[in-house]
Amino acid sequence: MATEPATETTLQGPAAWEAEAEREHVHGLGPWKLGLRRLRRNKVALLFGFLFVLLVLSCVLAPVWADKVAKTTANANHLSDVITVDGKEKNVVGLDGVPIGPQWWKADGKFFLGADRNGRDIMVRLLYGGRNSLEIGIVAAVITTILSIILGLVAGYFRGVADTVIRALLDVMWSFPVIILGVALGVALALGGLTIGPIKLAGDSLAIPIFIIGLVYVPYMARPVRGQVLSLREKEFVEAARAQGAGPIRIMFTEVMPNLASTVIVFFTLLIANAILLESALSFLGAGVQPPNPSWGTMIDEGVDRIATAPHLAIVPGIMLVLTVLSLNVFGDGVRDALDPRAKVRLER
Amino acid sequence: MAKLGRRALVLLVACLSMFVIGACGGDDDNGGGGGGGAAKEGGSVTIAQTSQPDYLDPALSYTVNGWEPLSTVYSGLIGYKRANGQAGSQLIPVLAEDLPKVSKDGTVYELTLRKGLKYSDGTPVKASDFEHTIQRVLNLESGGSAFFLGIKGAEDYVKNAKAEADIPGIETDNKTGKVTITLNGPDGTFTNVLAMPFATLVPGDTPFKNLTKDPPPGVGQYKITQSVPNRQFVMEKNKLWPSDIPDDPPAKIDKITTLIVKNAAKQAQDVISGKLDYMQDPPPADIKPEVKAKYSDRYREVTTASTYYFFMNTRVPPFDDPKVREAVNWGIDKPGLARIFAGEVTPGCSFLPPGMPGYDEDIDVKDCPFGDPNKPPDLEKARQMIKDAGVDGMDVTVWSNNDDPSDKVGEAYADMLTKMGFNAKPKILDGGVYFQTIGNQKTKAQTGFANWFQDFPHPKNFMFLVDGASIQPTNNQNFGNVDDPEITKAIAELNKEPEITDEVAAKWKDLNDKLVERAWIAPYGHRKLATFFSERMDFDNCSNFSPVWNNDYARWCLK
Repeated sequence: MATEPATETTLQGPAAWEAEAEREHVHGLGPWKLGLRRLRRNKVALLFGFLFVLLVLSCVLAPVWADKVAKTTANANHLSDVITVDGKEKNVVGLDGVPIGPQWWKADGKFFLGADRNGRDIMVRLLYGGRNSLEIGIVAAVITTILSIILGLVAGYFRGVADTVIRALLDVMWSFPVIILGVALGVALALGGLTIGPIKLAGDSLAIPIFIIGLVYVPYMARPVRGQVLSLREKEFVEAARAQGAGPIRIMFTEVMPNLASTVIVFFTLLIANAILLESALSFLGAGVQPPNPSWGTMIDEGVDRIATAPHLAIVPGIMLVLTVLSLNVFGDGVRDALDPRAKVRLER
Repeated sequence: MAKLGRRALVLLVACLSMFVIGACGGDDDNGGGGGGGAAKEGGSVTIAQTSQPDYLDPALSYTVNGWEPLSTVYSGLIGYKRANGQAGSQLIPVLAEDLPKVSKDGTVYELTLRKGLKYSDGTPVKASDFEHTIQRVLNLESGGSAFFLGIKGAEDYVKNAKAEADIPGIETDNKTGKVTITLNGPDGTFTNVLAMPFATLVPGDTPFKNLTKDPPPGVGQYKITQSVPNRQFVMEKNKLWPSDIPDDPPAKIDKITTLIVKNAAKQAQDVISGKLDYMQDPPPADIKPEVKAKYSDRYREVTTASTYYFFMNTRVPPFDDPKVREAVNWGIDKPGLARIFAGEVTPGCSFLPPGMPGYDEDIDVKDCPFGDPNKPPDLEKARQMIKDAGVDGMDVTVWSNNDDPSDKVGEAYADMLTKMGFNAKPKILDGGVYFQTIGNQKTKAQTGFANWFQDFPHPKNFMFLVDGASIQPTNNQNFGNVDDPEITKAIAELNKEPEITDEVAAKWKDLNDKLVERAWIAPYGHRKLATFFSERMDFDNCSNFSPVWNNDYARWCLK
């Protein structure tokens, strides 16, 4: 995500909200309730949030579509099968190798968006692909968040050697372009899988791209978290806790971490968007989700081969990707503005 | 925030509009490209392959990707006539003065090197270079090693593993140019073996290592002047190619740049528009109707002596069980697989392909022991057999490569095995490393995609893929480790025959039938390949499809 210029304040904007917050604070509303109130007033953010929920819901309901409507699975090939459309029989894949196009509701929902060259139902793969892309994006973002908080807290609170070592590690990771690091790891692990002690992951496991994406984005969040911790550790409430005899671990978890919450929440939503994008890029390049499992990235890659004759195969998963990332970004911006209108936190490229 | 919100809304509307446009689909006709002109010498062309050749080293390369270009860069003592169709199967002397003089017992081959030959870097060609060439093939554990193990002392040479050791069965005299090869026993295919790229000459100081990044000089119409693996390689006309070799004249095009372009649809569009002059693989299925309809004057399909099959590793469960291998043969959807190839594969059951001596048309179709290959498979029978064998639910990895449509075939085969009762998943590798990987015993590949195009018109060339004697630890071409003593013995016996009479052909036919009935492999068809040129190439006068090399770059010319 590129950095954005600071937005102008308007009557509806952050300055007005802040003024209102000052007033409302007099009436005893906590910061979270205040943030929720601001968010509720941001109709556009809510709309995109709702859109994201809708997309997630449709992907979660993929088994329902597959079972009840399309009556197939995401990976089932129907090379020699025949379906009835408007009373006529049609080959799912013709003798010349050209698969059936979008049938919409003409075949009772089967092959709604058509079939691919293996005779697989594209609509089913689109929904299951969304499940994979979202699962990878969300879980990877969780991993990044957890690792970033730990590293940022330790580096920022203890400073000294710990900070130096962690910063050096993050700088090394930061120096690799995310895509190249992701592809290198993805290709290496796709063949033989990953074995760490008792944990064994097969090369086609979704855990591999989750692990890779979760890892490569750590510097992007850990550094800003570290910066915030450096600032927070000098605050009076932290000094007061120290004076009362609280140890470093207790201070980190009870005093510092709660104050990171708004930053973390905002980063988290934006991270999901970036993680989904990276997963699609890796899958497109063959280093992410492995066949036959679908993801929006693999579907775009497969669709590119037929862009001249069946452009919807690449465009539809592309649009799903755009809508998902856009809705997350807009909603994430709304959450940021709601929680801290003065926040200058950005997920820099 | 408000401005961003409005921008976001506009973008949302734009996306939804694109959805409507995209769902309508439609053709994209780029039309023809390039300019015309008279047939001529010289010029440069740019061509594409879908994946990097396995090797650009003649001792090692064993794929169509590699042999098509290398057949014009390296030459052996013997070669094939550069002619279209069956005429291209005729053996001719190339670097030798004549075809070999073979002793009465069929074990001694004598040839004499032509005088005055030079490699593309100017180094004179010597008779002793032949022994060094064969030493490299054996020392590097090439996929072609098995063809030369019949030379006296070759097996000891391999066992001793000393690169510069002498092979007693090869005697050379640099003064006279004489090369004498003594075999352990008669081999009816040995003259063909001498014409394989493995036996093409390289200088006597060529290192014993894979030289793909810096290919050695050769004696050919072209020389490789640049090699960037997985990106491109460039071949330029070799001015030192002798002009007096009958049936093998110098090339016309000055420079051929081969790009590695993964996307077959892009390749086809680029040939249509003239950005590319040739693509090695046929156009993909959905573009082919357009190509056939609009560009038939520069597109042609050719039936090849080839077989597409799935190997089943007999050393690894569950395919160490013959009943399981039979079940797979019952369960694979041959007509379905043919559709992935857009009709380029004719469903069949026979391992030997049409046109090959020993081919059995009956077993290929109507007498296939596993049902008519043009009809749906007997999935129920396959499932029951797998259940009876006690391996239902077993994990199976299906190996394939990412060259179109091999990846689709791999995924389809995995789905078929799943329907039969296995828990099958495809593992797709890059085409440039696929055969080396499955040919390495350490990989223990259970089952996967394989194909074979004839190296020379002799049944032994196919049967060596299922010959127990050809199994080796690396670069193994017998991917299934097929080791049937009766078949191995029969191959050795039939190979001794100096020529293929009707009686000998009938014996090869019986052997083919046994191989199929015993389900050592799972063949599913035979393929057509294509020649597709840009507008500027002279298709009518300068396109040659060799039964051995496929498209012959040395015969190309521009209009």
